[in-house]
Amino acid sequence: MNFIKRGFLGITRKKGKSLILLAVIFILGNLISGAISIQQATGNVESTIKERLGTAATIDIDYDEWEAKPDTDVEEINVDLIKEIGNLSYVKYYDYSMSTWMGSESVERYQDEEMDGDYFVDGPSMDFRLKGINYAPVIDFEEGKAELTDGRVFTDDEIEKGTSVTIISHKLANENNLHVGDTFTLANEVYTYDEETGEEDFVTSRDVVLEIIGLFEPQEAKKETDENADSGMMILTDDMEYHNTVYVPNEIVIDESQFNWEEYMKADEEFAEMMEGEEESFEYYEPIYYLNNPEDIEAFTEEVKPLLPELYTVISASDQYENIAGPIESMSKLAKYVLIVAVIATVLITGLVVLLFLRDRKRELGIYLSLGEKRSRVVGQILIEVMVVAVVGITLSLFSGNLLAQQVSDTMMKADDNKDEYYEEYYYEGISTDLTADDVMDSYEVTLNSSYILGFYGVGLVTILISTIIPLIYIVRLNPKKILM
Amino acid sequence: MILEAKDLNYYYQDGEQRRYILKDTSISFEKGKFYTILGQSGSGKTTLLSLLSALDSPHSGEILFNEEDIKKIGYEKYRRNNVGIIFQSYNLVPTFTAVENVLVPMSITENEIPEDTKTVAYNLLDYIGIVKNKADRLVNRLSGGEQQRVAIARALATNVELILADEPTGNLDEEMEQEIIDIFKRLAHEHGKCVIVVTHSNEIALQSDQAFRLRKGVLSAYE
Repeated sequence: MNFIKRGFLGITRKKGKSLILLAVIFILGNLISGAISIQQATGNVESTIKERLGTAATIDIDYDEWEAKPDTDVEEINVDLIKEIGNLSYVKYYDYSMSTWMGSESVERYQDEEMDGDYFVDGPSMDFRLKGINYAPVIDFEEGKAELTDGRVFTDDEIEKGTSVTIISHKLANENNLHVGDTFTLANEVYTYDEETGEEDFVTSRDVVLEIIGLFEPQEAKKETDENADSGMMILTDDMEYHNTVYVPNEIVIDESQFNWEEYMKADEEFAEMMEGEEESFEYYEPIYYLNNPEDIEAFTEEVKPLLPELYTVISASDQYENIAGPIESMSKLAKYVLIVAVIATVLITGLVVLLFLRDRKRELGIYLSLGEKRSRVVGQILIEVMVVAVVGITLSLFSGNLLAQQVSDTMMKADDNKDEYYEEYYYEGISTDLTADDVMDSYEVTLNSSYILGFYGVGLVTILISTIIPLIYIVRLNPKKILM
Repeated sequence: MILEAKDLNYYYQDGEQRRYILKDTSISFEKGKFYTILGQSGSGKTTLLSLLSALDSPHSGEILFNEEDIKKIGYEKYRRNNVGIIFQSYNLVPTFTAVENVLVPMSITENEIPEDTKTVAYNLLDYIGIVKNKADRLVNRLSGGEQQRVAIARALATNVELILADEPTGNLDEEMEQEIIDIFKRLAHEHGKCVIVVTHSNEIALQSDQAFRLRKGVLSAYE
């Protein structure tokens, strides 16, 4: 009849009291379990969505801040700073790119069959986007935005020297019967613009001859049209723009931009006079950083912010999570408060119930002490009694609380779904996403997984333990003489 | 000498005044004898028993068990291994059966107990007059006399030499009282135990081997 056996006998011989304690723990356990279930599910959504949003980040002007301080001079981001940030330990790889648009007389742009030909506006044809590259293996290929289907990527030497080589889309190549090793010509055309008539006049043109070293196939752009017609059209447009993108070393873009600028100045004397004395840089880069983990974004931002010139900020893909995950975030907050309240209520209520039961058993506990039982073992006996009941109660509420959480969160999400959601979209290349609040809702799932089970048992049992320890002080202070004589 | 109390003082502090319950009390007990300590209510006899059983500690003086200070042994350890206590109101665990109540101290003591504790417990109860049928009943379904027998069996369960009883027959009728006193006599005379009973009954005192009277905290021989 050691204290362990006495503990178990205490449960079975006092069935009424054990059932009351079980009911209290079960009811409060449901609250804790439900709150933990929702928290786990929202936590999973956050990591899943942030994973899907990717690890991309860039630096750009904080336009809200600029609006607040309109007189501030905006510095340009230089290559040295871009490289300094790129060398931080959080960065997996990075690139900085310049872009320009060109037309061509010899090469036809790729156009989707479903696309209306009138979609393009009138004016000079600038169908091809030259996207400058500094990272030779091409980040878009590394990140799975496109796949190299033929040929090779750039070499560091080509990037450095600005060799006239290019990687174009497979479909653009097919459209023009081009292959790896072929060359094609783009036209860097200079136009002036008459503000009064709105007409553009051709000034001059320079041929840019590029050798195809590789072909790519976009992976992300979806052909299937969405239920929403506007959205479907946007996807098609993005898809086409990417098929007409021509990857080249940054140096080519810089040269061609400089040529374009100089010729424009020659043609527009008024503008040239206005710009006289102004230093003009042809290097305006859009940096893009890919981090090792989505969790690194916060630390990366912390480290980068002090390095940036005034008004600049870090923009990351995961920033969009807050915009699209509003309902989930509010549910997570609610679950957090419910959890805190439930834990406090459990400590107080269970503590009170245990204390009342102990007062009722004062004589029994005094008997053990009079027989020379160690106080620690008497405490152990009570702990066994409470914890065994608690394990049963917690196990029952593990399932019912989870079920409850599913029902509650379904109802809450349906209520939130009915509201009109507005969220700010990002248009930074590599950072923008087509993920919506619906994707977030879809990835929300209350499940019975091991982390939930362990988390709940941990929180539940520690809470019960704390609520039992306080009344146990009562036992430690018991005086058997006063009780028994 | 199995138990000896030397110059025990026990008092309640009442402001600056001390109200003595026991004053310079000394007494000694031997094995194989049945002792009674007689006294009226408030005479200090229960206090003396609580000190001898280490349920309380004196303000001064010492209690020696087999010539070792019980404070040095440790009050809890002394209760666990050296003494069996019987109370007026039995103090049995109501949710346990008679045999389970006897098994409790067997699991607490560090004394050597035969491995088959349950058989020992049944035999003890049988010796005291509780048959197996009753031994398996919850104690609150037994009569007062039977419950006190179970309490005696529990006191004997750890194989101790010293039995202390506080008004053990206070809640029993005369017939039952005599049966209990006979058990104590048997334990002292046949089994060599030292049995000390605190009582207010002259009849019991007259049956003991040696009786003491406690009056206003002062102990004297009862004649």
